[in-house]
Amino acid sequence: MFEGIKTGLVPKVIRRLLRSGLAMEMAKAAVKWSSRRENRAFPFWLDFLFDTPKRGFRKGRPVVWISAFTPSEIPYVFDLHPVLPEVIACLAAHIGVSDHAISMAEGNLYSADVCSFYRCGAGLALGGYLPQPDLIISTSHLCDGAHRFFHNMSQHFGCDHYLIDIPYGSDGRARAYLVDELHDVADFIGKRTGRRLDDERAAEVIELSNRTRQVMLQINELRRRIPSPFSGSEGMSYVLGMNFSTVGSQLGLAFFRSLHGVIEERVSRGEGIIEEEKHRLLWLHHIKPYYPNSIFDILEGLGAVVSFEEANQVYWDSMDPKRPLEGLASKMLSNSGCGPIERRIEAILEMAGRYRVNGAIHFSHWGCRQSCGGSHMVRDVMRERGIPTLVLDGDGADIRNYSEGQTRTRLEAFIEMLR
Amino acid sequence: MIVAGIDIGSLSSEAVILKEGEIMSYSIFPTGADTRKAAGMCMREALERAHLKFEDLAATVATGYGRINVPFATKTVTEITCHARGAYRLFPSTRTVIDMGGQDSKVISIDAEGRVSDFVMNDKCAAGTGRFLEVMAGALEVDLEEMGERSARARNGVVISSMCTVFAESEVISLIAAGCSKNDIIRGLHEAISKRIFTMAGKLRMERPITMTGGVAKNRGIVDALGRLLKSRIQLPEEPQIVGALGAALSA
Repeated sequence: MFEGIKTGLVPKVIRRLLRSGLAMEMAKAAVKWSSRRENRAFPFWLDFLFDTPKRGFRKGRPVVWISAFTPSEIPYVFDLHPVLPEVIACLAAHIGVSDHAISMAEGNLYSADVCSFYRCGAGLALGGYLPQPDLIISTSHLCDGAHRFFHNMSQHFGCDHYLIDIPYGSDGRARAYLVDELHDVADFIGKRTGRRLDDERAAEVIELSNRTRQVMLQINELRRRIPSPFSGSEGMSYVLGMNFSTVGSQLGLAFFRSLHGVIEERVSRGEGIIEEEKHRLLWLHHIKPYYPNSIFDILEGLGAVVSFEEANQVYWDSMDPKRPLEGLASKMLSNSGCGPIERRIEAILEMAGRYRVNGAIHFSHWGCRQSCGGSHMVRDVMRERGIPTLVLDGDGADIRNYSEGQTRTRLEAFIEMLR
Repeated sequence: MIVAGIDIGSLSSEAVILKEGEIMSYSIFPTGADTRKAAGMCMREALERAHLKFEDLAATVATGYGRINVPFATKTVTEITCHARGAYRLFPSTRTVIDMGGQDSKVISIDAEGRVSDFVMNDKCAAGTGRFLEVMAGALEVDLEEMGERSARARNGVVISSMCTVFAESEVISLIAAGCSKNDIIRGLHEAISKRIFTMAGKLRMERPITMTGGVAKNRGIVDALGRLLKSRIQLPEEPQIVGALGAALSA
C-alpha cells in the first residue's frame, strides 16, 4: 500500500480511506489484531492514532493544528480537535512514507536544511493527507523551525496562526507576559471558532492533566528500577506521542494508567527489557530516528538499555484548576529546554543520577539547532561527571540520512568505551 | 599463543599475526567488492608469511567496516578501539590517535591505560578520507603514492575551498585549466583536508602526543600540514596501515 503512495498510483484512494469511518475502523481492528502481543496500553495509542484523522476529516469539531510543545490541554479546554503534524511525521517515517512526503515538500521549495519533521509534515499537508486546520497554534520554544512551518501552513490553508512567544527567562515577569498571551490565545480561539473559555471545562481539563501528571511521575519512578522495566525506544515513540497529544484528556489518563499497570507488573516480576543489563543509558533530546532502523536493537544486543529519556521528564508542577492559564504558562516556562543551556544541563545531570545511568546518547537531529547547538556542552559536562556521552548525529525522519554501518560503528565503539 | 587481527576497510584490508604479543607477519590487500573473499586472501597471505595454517590461530578478531563479514572471526571489535589499542602498543605515551582511512576519519582520545575516553568521526561526507584523495589523484592524473612528495615540492599556495568530493574535483580541474601546477594544487588539497580534521579534533579535548594511523598517514604532505595546524609533532608508526589490525589482534 505504501509503495502505492510513493509511486503516486493510489493517493486518492488513501485520502478517501483516511476520511472513511468504516475503513479506519477496519484498519484499526487489523492493526490491533497484528499488535495483540504488545502491552495493554498500546491499544489506547491506536485509538488515538486512528481517531485523529477520522474525526479531523469529518469536521465534527473545529480542527486545531498545534506544535509539539503547545500544551495539549489548550485544545481540550476549548473542545477542539488537535492535530500534531510533528507526531504524524514520526508515524509517516515509521511506516516508510516520510521520504515521499519530504521529496514532495522539497519539490515545493522547502530547503533540505529545514528540519525533516517539518518537511515531512509539509509534504503530507501538500498531498492532502492531513485534516485541514481551522486554526493553528504554535509556540516559539525549543523547535526553531516550528513557527516558520506553521506560518507557511496557515498561508497554505488560508487559516489564522497564533504564535505563542515564550520568554527566555522564567521569572514572574515572564510568567505574567505569557499569561497575557494565553488570554489573547483564548480570544483568538473564541473569534475563530465561537468557543469561549469556560471555567468549569478548563478546571476539568486541568484536573485531568494533573491526574495524568501524577501517573506519569509514578511511571518515571518505576523506571528507576534495575533492571530497566521499560524500553527507551517505546518511551521515545508512542509514549512521547501520547505525552505530546493527550495530556488533559480522558484518553491520556487511561493510557498512562494502563502503562503504569504494565510497568508495575514487570517490576513486581523483576523483569527487565533485556536478560543481562550491563549498561544503563540516558537518551537525550526529544527525537530518535522514527524510520525503520536498528539503533535500539544494536544497543540491546550489546547489553545496553535506554533506561530513561530526557523527553519524558515531568518538568512541570501540578496546576491550579481555578487558574488554568497561569498553570499552563508555568508549565511552558518550566521546560528545561527553555532559557540558558545550564538549565538543561542541570536537569540532565539530575536525570543521570536519578536513573543511575553510566552513559548517555545525545541524538543530534539534522536541522535542529537547539539540539546540535548544545550537544557538545552537554557532553563535556557529562564527561566531567564521569558519564561518557555519545553525540550521535543523525536524522529523525529522513531515512536518506541514515547509514546502518556508520551508526553501528559509533554505537559499538561507545559501548566498548563504557566497559 | 598465536592470534590474528584483521581489519576490513573500504579500500584495503590488513591482517596481523601475533605470537606472544609480538608481530610475526602482516599483509595488506585491496578490499574490492567482495569483503569475504578479501578477508580470506588477506589472512592466507599473512599466515603464509608466518609459515602458519588457519588451525594454528587461537583466536581471530575482526575490525573495520567489514568486520561482520569475516566468517572465521571469533570476535569483532570496532576500529575505534582497535586503532587506540594498536597506537598505544606502539607509542604508550600517546593520548590522541588520528586515523584517516578509506571512507572515514576519526580522532580518538585515549587515557593513560590506553582505553578510549572519547572519539569523534567524520559525518557522512567523504572529505578528509582516503577516498577523497583517491578521487583527486584521479583528477590530477598522478599516483596516490606520489602526492606527499609532490606537495613538498609546491612553490605557491593554492586554496581549495570546496570540501565536497564532487565539487572539489571540479575545482581541481578548473585550477589545472587556469595553469596552476599540480604540486601546488596537491598542497592545497592537503591543507584543506587537514583543516577539516583539525576542526573535527577541536570537538575533543585533544592531548599530546598525537599518533596518526591509517593509509592516509603514509602521505607526508597531509602529516606535515596537520602537524602545522596542530602545532605538534605527529608520531608515525612504521606501517600506519596495519595499526587497526594490530589493535584487533591485541584484543584477542
